Amino acid sequence: MQELALIQPGGMARDEFLREAAQAEARREFEELLAECGPLAYRVARGVLRNSADAEDVAQEALLRAYRRFDRLRDRNRFRAWLVRIAFRLALDRLRSSKRREQRDTFWSHPAHQPPAATVEDLAVSNEFQAHLDRALGELPEKLRLVLLLAAMEDHTIDEIAAIVGVSAGTVKSRIFYARKQLAEKLRCHAKTIKTR
Amino acid sequence: MPCENYKDALTEAAASGADPANALRSNAKMAALRAHFESCASCRTAFAEEQALFISIDAGLHATANAEVPACLLPRVRAALDEVEAPRLPWMSPLIFASASVALAFLVFLIARPHRSVSDDQAKQTPPISMPLKPPTGSHGEISPSSVQSPSTTANHFRAPRKSTLVHSAASSNPEVLVPPDEREAFARFVAELNARSDFAAAFVAQAPEKKDALVVVDPLQISDIELKPLESKETESSDRAGEKH
Repeated sequence: MQELALIQPGGMARDEFLREAAQAEARREFEELLAECGPLAYRVARGVLRNSADAEDVAQEALLRAYRRFDRLRDRNRFRAWLVRIAFRLALDRLRSSKRREQRDTFWSHPAHQPPAATVEDLAVSNEFQAHLDRALGELPEKLRLVLLLAAMEDHTIDEIAAIVGVSAGTVKSRIFYARKQLAEKLRCHAKTIKTR
Repeated sequence: MPCENYKDALTEAAASGADPANALRSNAKMAALRAHFESCASCRTAFAEEQALFISIDAGLHATANAEVPACLLPRVRAALDEVEAPRLPWMSPLIFASASVALAFLVFLIARPHRSVSDDQAKQTPPISMPLKPPTGSHGEISPSSVQSPSTTANHFRAPRKSTLVHSAASSNPEVLVPPDEREAFARFVAELNARSDFAAAFVAQAPEKKDALVVVDPLQISDIELKPLESKETESSDRAGEKH
């Protein structure tokens, strides 16, 4: 039995070798893209979640998911856009689940009519506007939010954003305009309040 | 408080980043706004506030979108990549793999079916031993395939159409012996001894006697005819009784 177990057809060994070589090549290719696009995944997640630790988790999850499905991506030039979408989706899911958890905790710990306690950030005027902005950003429609985040990131032109999101450049411009306008409407009163202090 | 007629226009101008003072004269809306600013101080103030608001929004967005990436992120991801399953190759996608498996199974079935019938015929016609034994002629010359088997490392195994060695060894008509490595030498000596002493080999591979569990044929009992003899005389019996009385 031991002798028989040692006998292997040569074709299987060759296939195994080719498979491992291809896997190593895919890993090397992914490593290059990881160094280039990893920070982007983090920033997209950070823009949605407004929390560094959560954003790091989501970015890692997005990159791992991209690695597992790397073989499905035929055009490797689309990796950037593909990764942004994965990270954005995962961040939204995380945000929704954390909101549900927060609502559940609030329901049990605080009466409904009491506003949540002010955070440390809210105490500082300089950070107060940023906190309001982050909150207003979270209330934007998803398609406006993603475009606005990408536009605010460095080194992203309108055409690149259009390629990432998969819409025309005119649509990107329009979304940026409406997103900023909606943010202004939400933040106008806060800006005046902060200014009068 | 801006004038109601120009409220939307100045917000749009601030949102688009345009400055009415520097706007092209061909833009009618901007030209009208610029003309209004010259006469309305409150609208100028409102426009300046709107511009400041959008500058604050852009600065806040820039800070949010370009957050410092933790240095541990990429090493952490690389470490996780080592633990995760490697990406499958395009040709190993489930659908292709399933179809290939079905096709391969069908091919193996097609190849195995005629091969099995031929090998069975061979097993019936030829003696199933490949050792150079010289079985004695006579009624005890047939060698039982279960009694002696030859070593398995013959060339036929590698030329066999089926690739699975395990299945092949089980299904092959050629006798095989699975010998542990430590007993290989002893087995080789045993085979050599068998080759040298044909009488011993013949005795060894001789057909076993009839099995014990075969049906036992019992001959019918031989019972001789019963001979009926008359009883002894009554006189003797009466004299015996007289003797007892006395």
